[in-house]
Amino acid sequence: MIAQIISVIGQTALVLLFSPLITAFSRTIKARLQTRRGPGLFQPYRDLHKLLRKGMVIPETASWIFTATPYVLFATTLLAGLLIPTIATQAPLSLFGGVLAVVYLLALGRFFLALGGLDTGSSFGGLGSSREMTISAIAEPALMLAVFTVALGAGSTNLSSVAQAAVGQSWRFLSPSQMLAFAALFIVLIAETGRIPVDNPATHLELTMIHEAMILEYSGPCLALIEWSASMKQMVLMTLLVNVFFPYGLSADGSPLGMLISVALFVFKLLILALAVVLVETGNAKLRLFRVPELLAVAFVLSALALISTFLFGVHGG
Amino acid sequence: MLFWQDPQFGDRMITLMAALVLVLQITMVAQRWLVTNIRAFAIQSFLLACIANTIAYYNGATHIYIAAALTLMFKAILLPVILQRLVSRIEIRQEIEPFVNVPLSVIISGFLTLLAYVVAEPLQTQAALPGVAGLGRNTLPVAIALFLIGFFMMINRRKAVTQVLALLSLENGLFLAAISLTYGMPLIVELGIFFDVLVAAMILAILVYRIRETFDSMDVSRLSRLKG
Amino acid sequence: MWPTRELYTSGLLVFAIGALGGVACHWWARTTSWTLRLFCGSALSGAVLVGGAGLGGLLNASELSWSLPSGIPYLNCVVRIDPLSSFFLLTLSLLAASVAVYSFGYLRHDTAAKSPALSCSLLNLLLAGLTLVFAAADVVFFLIAWEVMVAAAYFLVVTKHEAEESRKGGLLYILMSRSGTGMLFIGFLLLASAAGTTDFRAMHAIGGKLPAAAGGVAFVLLFLGFGVKAGIIPLHIWLPAAHPVAPSNISALMSGILIKTGIYGMARVFFDFYGVLPAWAGMLVLLVGVISAVLGVLYALMEHDLKRLLAYHSIENIGIILMGFGAALLFRSYGHPNLAALALIAGLFHTLNHGLFKCLLFLGAGSVLHSTHTRNMEEMGGLIRRMPATAVYFLIGAIAISGLPPLNGFVSEWLTYQALLAGFGATAELTRVAFPVAGALLALTAALAAACFVKAFGITFLALPRSQAAQAAREVSLSMRGGMAMLALACLVLGLGASWFLPVFDPVTQQAFGINATRNLATGNGFILTAGSPQGGSVSTPVLALMLVALSVIPLILWLLWGRKQKRSIGPTWDCGLPGLTADNEYTATAFSKPLRMIFGALFRPRREIQAEFEVSPYYPKAIHFESEIQPAFEKHFYDPLRDRILRMARSMRPVQAGSVHAYLAYIFLTLILLLLFGVRG
Repeated sequence: MIAQIISVIGQTALVLLFSPLITAFSRTIKARLQTRRGPGLFQPYRDLHKLLRKGMVIPETASWIFTATPYVLFATTLLAGLLIPTIATQAPLSLFGGVLAVVYLLALGRFFLALGGLDTGSSFGGLGSSREMTISAIAEPALMLAVFTVALGAGSTNLSSVAQAAVGQSWRFLSPSQMLAFAALFIVLIAETGRIPVDNPATHLELTMIHEAMILEYSGPCLALIEWSASMKQMVLMTLLVNVFFPYGLSADGSPLGMLISVALFVFKLLILALAVVLVETGNAKLRLFRVPELLAVAFVLSALALISTFLFGVHGG
Repeated sequence: MLFWQDPQFGDRMITLMAALVLVLQITMVAQRWLVTNIRAFAIQSFLLACIANTIAYYNGATHIYIAAALTLMFKAILLPVILQRLVSRIEIRQEIEPFVNVPLSVIISGFLTLLAYVVAEPLQTQAALPGVAGLGRNTLPVAIALFLIGFFMMINRRKAVTQVLALLSLENGLFLAAISLTYGMPLIVELGIFFDVLVAAMILAILVYRIRETFDSMDVSRLSRLKG
Repeated sequence: MWPTRELYTSGLLVFAIGALGGVACHWWARTTSWTLRLFCGSALSGAVLVGGAGLGGLLNASELSWSLPSGIPYLNCVVRIDPLSSFFLLTLSLLAASVAVYSFGYLRHDTAAKSPALSCSLLNLLLAGLTLVFAAADVVFFLIAWEVMVAAAYFLVVTKHEAEESRKGGLLYILMSRSGTGMLFIGFLLLASAAGTTDFRAMHAIGGKLPAAAGGVAFVLLFLGFGVKAGIIPLHIWLPAAHPVAPSNISALMSGILIKTGIYGMARVFFDFYGVLPAWAGMLVLLVGVISAVLGVLYALMEHDLKRLLAYHSIENIGIILMGFGAALLFRSYGHPNLAALALIAGLFHTLNHGLFKCLLFLGAGSVLHSTHTRNMEEMGGLIRRMPATAVYFLIGAIAISGLPPLNGFVSEWLTYQALLAGFGATAELTRVAFPVAGALLALTAALAAACFVKAFGITFLALPRSQAAQAAREVSLSMRGGMAMLALACLVLGLGASWFLPVFDPVTQQAFGINATRNLATGNGFILTAGSPQGGSVSTPVLALMLVALSVIPLILWLLWGRKQKRSIGPTWDCGLPGLTADNEYTATAFSKPLRMIFGALFRPRREIQAEFEVSPYYPKAIHFESEIQPAFEKHFYDPLRDRILRMARSMRPVQAGSVHAYLAYIFLTLILLLLFGVRG
C-alpha cells in the first residue's frame, strides 16, 4: 500500500516535472535545425511560473465551463499519465484502467477544451473546437485499431500487461505488425499533439491554427494549466509509443541502480522520439486542413495492415 | 553460427521487407507527387531484389541472384532514372485527379490486401514447408496484394506516366509471387518477362511524350477523342 | 416471497385507471392542476409497481407465468415474467418514473397541448402497452400489446396535429410500424408452426426445429420487423421524422424505451427462440450494427434541429447495442458461452444506459424547447446562464452519451470493446478481422458522438444568445428539473457503481447460455471491472473519478502558492478590433460541422446556394442568403422509388375498386368459395 502511494506520487512528479522538458527539447532542436539558437531548455518552466503568477482576464460572455475547463483538462491528462508504465512495467494505477481508459480520459479533456473554446463566443474559439473535434474523430479509428493490434499481441488492454508481454522478446519490434502499428501511432501522435503537418503550435494565423484558436481567450494561471496539459499529453502519448514498442530498460526489480538505468533509458527513448517528431516537423510543410484526412486514412490503413499482418505472416508476424 | 546465418533471422528479414514493399505500394496509392511515386517504386524494387537475394543466400540458388541483380539494375535504377527524366522533360509534377479520392483509394487498397490474404490462405497452407525450403513462402499474400493494388492503380489513374508506374509495380507483384512460390521461374522465362516489361515501359514513355505533344495533356481519357 | 405477480397486475391496473380517468376528465372538461397531479401520479406509481415486479423477477431468477382473463375464446393472455422481461420492465420503470415527474410540470405549462388530460391518458396507455409487450408470452397477445403501444404512440406523436410536420411524421411512423408488424407476423407464424402452439413458453430454442431455409427466413423477418421499431439503418427513416414532433416527454419515452421494444424482441428471438444460429446471422447483426452506428452519428452531426439530432443519436446507439448482440451470436455459434455472455451483457447494459441518458437529453431538449419555443440550435445560445440546472443535466447526459469516463456510457462501451477484442482470438478466418474493425468503427462513432455533443451543448448553452427567444429564456419548473435530476443521478450511479450493478444480468445470461458471467467481471471488492479474466484488461470508474478529484488539488495548491493575490478581471472577448462582439460573430452549428460535411462529402452530397446582394463592391454585401442541405440518401435512392412504384401499382388496381357494394360482396363470396374448396381439398 505504502509502495503503491509512493509510486503514484513519484510518477505524478515525473509527469508533471519532466513533460515541459520534452517540449523544450523539441523547440530547441527545431530552432537548431532552422539555425536559430532557441530559447533554452528551461524556458517552458519559466513560462509556466510567470503565467501562474499573473492575473487573468475572463471573457464577459463565458460561463463556469470556461473556468472549469483547465482544471478538468489538467486532471484528466495527469491521470492518463498515471495509467501508463514509464520506468517500470507496473504503472501505479494500471489496474484501474488500461489503454481504453487512457484514450477516453484524453477525450474527456478534449471535450471540455472544445466547450471552453465555444464558450468565449468568438469565432476563433468555435473554429478551433470544430477542427480539433473533427481531426481527433478521424484519428480515432487508426489509434484504436493500432492499439487493438498491440493489445491482441499481449492478450490484454492493460498497459502494464502489454509492456510485460513485450519485455524479453528480442527482435519483436522487427515484426511487421509492430512496425506498422508503430508507424500508424506515430502519425496519430503527430495529429493528436498538433504538430506540423497537421497543426502548427507556433502559429497565430487564423486560417491554419487549431489548438491555438481554441485557447485564444485563456490567460494567466488557466493558460498555464492548459499549456502544461498539452506538454503532459505529448509526454503521455510518446511514453505510450516508446514503452509499448521498445520496452527496453523497464525495470522489473526495484533496486536503486536498476531504477537509475531505467530512468536514463526512458529519457533517452523519449528524446529520440521527440527528435523524430521534430525531424518530421522540420522536413514537411503544413498540410491543408482537408488534406489531413488523407494522412489519417494512411494511418488507418497502416494499422489495419498491422492487424492483418498478425496472421498474414504466420507465427513470426505477431 | 552467427545470427544472420540463422534461417529464422532470414525469415524475419524477408517478412519485414515484404511488409515494407506493401507499405510502399500503398504509399504510391496515397501520393500525388510523381517524383515521390517514382522513388517509392525504386525503393520497392530495391527491397524486392533484397528479398530475392536473401532467399538465394539461404538456399544457395544461383539463378535467383541473377534475377535479383537484374531487378536491381533495371527496376531500381535504370527505369526510375528514365521516368524521372521524362517527368522533368514534360514538366508535370503532380497527378491532378485520380478517379477515386485518396482516402477512399487507400482504404480500398486495404481491402484488396485483405482479399489477397483470403485468396492466398489455402495456397499457403498447402505449400507449407519446414526449414529453409519454406523461406519466403509467407510473402505470397503480399505478392497478390501488390498485383491487385497495381491493377487498381492502373484503373484509378488518369496520367499515362502513373499508369506505367502502376504496371511496373504490378509486375513487381508477379516477381515476388514467382520467387516466393517456386524460387523463380526458369531463368529464360524470367528474362523474357523482364525485357517485355522494360520494352513496354520504354514504348509507353515515348507514347506519353507523343500524347502530350498532340493533346497538350497526358490525360488518357482524352484518347477517346481519337475515334472518328 | 416477493409479490411479483400482484405488483405487476396492480401496476397495470394503475396505468389503466390513469388512462381511463384522463379520458373521462377530458370528456367532462375538468382539467385542473390536481387532476394532472393525479394522472401523472398514476403513471409514477404504476412505474414504481412495475419496477417492483421487474426487481422481483430478477431476484427470484426463475420465471413466473399466469394468464390474464381475456374473455375472448382462443386468446390466451399469458403473462410471463422471466429474467429478460424483468430487466426490460426495470428499465421501463426507471424511465417512466422520471418522465412522469417531468410530465407534471411540462403538461401544466405546455400551452401547445390542447388537452393535458388527454395527453396524460395516452401516456398511461402507452406505459400500459409497454408493460404488456415486455411480459406478453403468447404470439397473438404479444402482437395485440404491440399494436396498443404503436397506436398510443401514434396519437401522442400527432398531438400537435394542426402542424403538417406532425401529421407527416405520424403517418410515416404508422406506415413503417405496420410494415414491421407484417414481417413480425409472418416470422412468428413460421416459428409457431414449428412449435405447434403460439405460447412463448413452448418456443424455447424452437428455431432449430425449422428447416434451415425457413429458420433463416424467419430470423431475417423477425430481425427486420423488430429492426423497424429499433430504428436500424436502412429502416430508420420514421425515427427522425416522428421523434422531434412528439411532445418532449413522449420523445424521451420513445427514444428511451419505445425503440427498445425492438431490442427486447430481438433479444427474445435471438437468445430464447433460437438456439445456436449459423455464423452469418451474427455477422448480419454485427454489420447492421456497425452501419447504423456510423451513419447514425454522421447524420446526427449534420442536424441543427436539437431533437432530430437526438433522434439520429438513437439510431447510433441502437447500432452499438446491436454490435454487442451480433458479437454474442457469433460467440455462441463458435462455442464460447462466456464471451457470448460478456457481449450480451454489454449490449443489454448499453440498452439501459442509452435509455437513461437519451431520456435525460430529450427531457433537457424539451426544457429548452419549452423556454425558447424553438428546436433550431442556430437560434439558441447562452442558455447556461438562464437555465443553469438544465444545462448541468444536459451536460451530464452529453458526457454519458459520448462514452466518456466516469459515467455509464463509458462502462457499456468499454464492455463492448472488450467483447469485440476477445472476438479476434475466439473466431476463425475472416470473422476475426471483422471484430477489431468493428471496434475501430465503434471508436470512430464514439469520437464523432463527442464532436456532435460538443456542438449540441456548446451551440445551445454557451456564449451569447442568438435570438430574442433565447435571450428571454427562463429556467423550467421544479418538477421538470426533478425528472431530469433523477436520470442524471442514475447515469452517475450506474457509471460509478457499474460493477455492483452487473450481477443483475446473471439470471439473463443463465437463461440464455446457462452460465453466470458476472462473477468474473468484478474484482477488488467490486471496485474493479474486468473483462472476464484478470489479464483481459480492467477499469475502475470509482477510482478514476476519485483520482480526478484528488489530482485537481494540484492546480489548487499552485493557485494558493502564487495566484491567490492576483486579481481576476472580466473583459470583452477579442473581436478582431471590430466594435463589440455580437451573436453574429459566433460559430454556428452548421459551421461547426462543416469540416465533417466536407470530409464525408461523398456520403452527404451537400448542396449549397449563396446569393449575395451588394451595392458598391462585392466586399460589402448588403444581404446574404445562404442555403445548405445534405441529400438524404436512403429516402432518395430507396424509399422514393419504392413509393412511386407502390402508387403506380395502386393506380393499376383501381378498376377492381368499383365502388359498388354488390361488387365487394361478390369478391367476398368468391373468396369464401375458394377458401372452402381449398379447405376441403387441400
